[in-house]
Amino acid sequence: MTATSKGHAISARDLLPSGEQRKKLRKIRHAKDLTTRAVVSAAGYGVVISLALIFVFLFIEVAPLLRNASLGDPVSYPVPGSDADTMYLASERYQEAAVRFARDGTVSFFDPTDGRPLLNRVIDFQGGEVTSFGSGEPRTGLVAYGLSDGRAAVIQHEYDLSFPDDVRLVTPKLTLPLGEEVVVIDEQGQALDVIAIQQGATGIGIAASTRDGRLLLTRYASRRSFLTGETEFVRSSYELPAPPAAPTRILLDITMRILLVGDAQGFLHYYDIQQPAQARLLDSQRVLDSAGASVSAMEYLLGTVSVIVGGSDGSVAQYFLVRDENNIGRITQIRTFRSHAGAITSIFPEFSRKGFVVGDASGGLGLHYGTSASTLFIREVSDNPITNASVAPRNNALMWTDGTRQVHYASLWNRHPESSFTALWNRVWYEGRSQPDFVWQSSSATDEFEPKFSLVPLSVGTLKAAFYAMLFAMPLAIFGAIYTAYFMSPKMRGFVKPTIELMEALPTVILGFLAGLWLAPFVESHLPATFSILLLLPVFMLAFAWLWSLAPKALRFLVPPGWEAALLIPVILLTGWLCVSLSPVIEVWFFDGSMRQWFTEVGITYDQRNALVVGIAMGFAVIPTIFSIAEDAVFNVPKHLTQGSLALGATPWQTVIGIVLLTASPGIFSAVMIGFGRAVGETMIVLMATGNSPVVNFNIFEGMRTLSANIAVEMPEAAVGGTHYRLLFLAALVLFGFTFVLNTIAEVVRQRLRAKYSSL
Amino acid sequence: MNQPTHTSAPGISAGIPNAQSRKRLNLRNEEMSMQVRDLNLFYGADQALKNITMDIPRRRVTAFIGPSGCGKSTLLRCFNRMNDLIDICRIEGEIRIDEQDIYHPSIDVPELRRKVGMVFQKPNPFPKSIYENIAYGLRLQGVKNRRKLDEVVEHSLKRAALWEEVKDRLEDNAFGLSGGQQQRLVIARAIAIEPEVILLDEPCSALDPISTAKVEELIIDLKESYTIVIVTHNMQQAARVSDFTAYMYLGELIEYDDTAKLFTNPAKKATEDYITGRYG
Repeated sequence: MTATSKGHAISARDLLPSGEQRKKLRKIRHAKDLTTRAVVSAAGYGVVISLALIFVFLFIEVAPLLRNASLGDPVSYPVPGSDADTMYLASERYQEAAVRFARDGTVSFFDPTDGRPLLNRVIDFQGGEVTSFGSGEPRTGLVAYGLSDGRAAVIQHEYDLSFPDDVRLVTPKLTLPLGEEVVVIDEQGQALDVIAIQQGATGIGIAASTRDGRLLLTRYASRRSFLTGETEFVRSSYELPAPPAAPTRILLDITMRILLVGDAQGFLHYYDIQQPAQARLLDSQRVLDSAGASVSAMEYLLGTVSVIVGGSDGSVAQYFLVRDENNIGRITQIRTFRSHAGAITSIFPEFSRKGFVVGDASGGLGLHYGTSASTLFIREVSDNPITNASVAPRNNALMWTDGTRQVHYASLWNRHPESSFTALWNRVWYEGRSQPDFVWQSSSATDEFEPKFSLVPLSVGTLKAAFYAMLFAMPLAIFGAIYTAYFMSPKMRGFVKPTIELMEALPTVILGFLAGLWLAPFVESHLPATFSILLLLPVFMLAFAWLWSLAPKALRFLVPPGWEAALLIPVILLTGWLCVSLSPVIEVWFFDGSMRQWFTEVGITYDQRNALVVGIAMGFAVIPTIFSIAEDAVFNVPKHLTQGSLALGATPWQTVIGIVLLTASPGIFSAVMIGFGRAVGETMIVLMATGNSPVVNFNIFEGMRTLSANIAVEMPEAAVGGTHYRLLFLAALVLFGFTFVLNTIAEVVRQRLRAKYSSL
Repeated sequence: MNQPTHTSAPGISAGIPNAQSRKRLNLRNEEMSMQVRDLNLFYGADQALKNITMDIPRRRVTAFIGPSGCGKSTLLRCFNRMNDLIDICRIEGEIRIDEQDIYHPSIDVPELRRKVGMVFQKPNPFPKSIYENIAYGLRLQGVKNRRKLDEVVEHSLKRAALWEEVKDRLEDNAFGLSGGQQQRLVIARAIAIEPEVILLDEPCSALDPISTAKVEELIIDLKESYTIVIVTHNMQQAARVSDFTAYMYLGELIEYDDTAKLFTNPAKKATEDYITGRYG
């Protein structure tokens, strides 16, 4: 440095900074090196960690679905009220009050957690002895005592909710909807051995069988008085044809159309009571296999469509009426649950779902769920027979009594019984359906609705959308990539490739919007044009290429080599225009004016938003992905390989087939995989252009609902923490896993390809 | 051309002095395979070959030497029209092979390339089995008969002195071979389709000395049956394997003569400077 200032010749040594400075510089360089390494590593690990976190988050949301129902430690306390036999137990929504109906007419409200009595009332049976007890749907709180003199006491337990001083206060109350008096069911005064009660939209129905074998139906039609605004009841009573054997259980549904009778010989009988005066026994089925077994317990599930039959042999099964070809309901076994060790003594349905709790004579308490056909647990909780079992309205506690004059209460965790592998992936026989099926229907307007959570329609829909998109995109993208990389002039390639890659930046919401609002109606009204374009475009392009090869040289030399593809643009436009303008003519000639109408006539279902539209729109979305990667793969086939092939006398076409495709095939495969992953995960286009109907078919003219669109549609309406909510997360996890696997396969193949090329 | 030859090659140590001891040949006595007349080649505006006129003798080894960028590889690639693959490449003048102008529009280029095989600087086996590498050229010509293919594969590999090394693993991927074996495989691949001319573009520049010796041995073997043109940077190699040598500089053919003469008694000063290392 000093030398230069003196104007001497500069030597290399002079140019270098002094030793001390170099030492300092070395330190700075070292620090820079370390910093860069740290920053780059942090970024790299950050990506991996955030990916892992997404996975962990999804899994945490899904995990409760996999958790089994569990029962807490029971607390026991002496039965409140009287020491008489317990007939019925129920509790209130907030678990601040429960009720026990005793045989002697004592109705006692108490705190279910510790047995503290809240309210006691004794019903006056006016001299009758209690011979039977029946309950309506638990949420109505309606129960009836059947008496030895042919009369019945109808009682409703209710809970008033108030918030004095902002503190919740639950006040239990007992009402007698049919008046303070006990009501007469059997005019002949025979004892009521079995009684059933139900409240429907039209009033209250009571069915009973008498000691002398008659089956009676009494209806109290409710009518609101115009003057007083009070509800009045109009009584009508009917005698039904007697069942062949002594009834053990009777059930009335909330529509007052169906009466089911279980008997001592293990049969279930179905009476049509729509017109009670002409009530008929329509069907009788043996529901218990073992000889000598009787129907020992029987209860409707929520909505009174399915009935759970418990036998004295410990079997538990679900039945409902399935209409046969003559439109007559047949008692059909839908599914069976794990059998209990002793005779079933008590069945209590859940208030808001299709589950139920079962008590048996050997002290077992079982929790089952209808839709998912699962037995969540059967637990030995007592040495004595369970006499009554009850589940809390919010499914968070169980209460039961055994022969020990004690009430037992235990908390319950049973949030997601609806989801099981069977319920998600197998055909399920849903209530009211004529056969098992794959259905996704997560919500409906009624409370009694049975949610249908089959992931099959969504998975099939996802694959269907992806399949048609790939059907459209793969040939175009791959052949386009081969042409662009191998045959096109570099100048035109420099123009074409970025343009197609730019298509990827097109927001899919715009593609979806165009597909749903413009393409779908256009395709529907120009069906012949759509098909003829798909059919004629390749034909015309090949025909033009052939004609071009015959054209005089002078003409051909006007187009520089590698630019011939540009000539196809007018051909494509012309073909499109021709097909669209000929479309109405074709429709008039061959399809009576409308191909859409013709489809309907020949029995092909046609939705406006269908797989064809989605295939085209989503095809456009995946073409850039596939094209770009496949083009790179073809273009990166080492030149010495293609030259080697050409030097052996191969034509360019033979080289493409024999060498280029062979060498680029892993790259093309990974392009297809990544494109497929994109199509599977794509949301906006399928959301807007599929119609979102969760059907299970591959019909190109019908829509579908995909996993991704389903999440987008339903996530805002799913209750946070509910089964539906978690199942949407499960769908997300399935989707995430699927795209993760596809992309990993693609990447592994690509890495292997890279390793292979480096040795070439 | 099918008879196997066992001519022993000159030792690897054979250097320029040894060229002197070889029998003198005269271009005028040779039967010509290829004729180049007034060949000019342009890459866009740059002229890469200037007025080349030369004859390549049949069943001899002709070597092109010269410094990098002198146009020797470009000239080599003119013989099988590989330069066609370069868009901006333009050619004037003519090249005749067996009295036929190969740049005539009626020429079928793939057929020309079958007749004029080429081996590149870097071994370029296809990502296929050894067997399929050899069979590839024949399959291109529509040969499907498995027995015929077997026969040709075996013959070609024997001809390329590779048979003994690979006969038990014909179905293995060709990438499993060493560089020298790969280069001999490529030569076998070229001779499988019975060419008349084999162009070798610096065939040994990526190989170790032992592999180089084997390939050189093979080249000398093959000239019994084929016209061979070799481009090389290695003057000793040119001296060892070739019968005639052309020295090129800046796109021009400076001197072209019998190898022994060119190396021992060059007619031009530029040639002498180059072969003695006094480049320029």
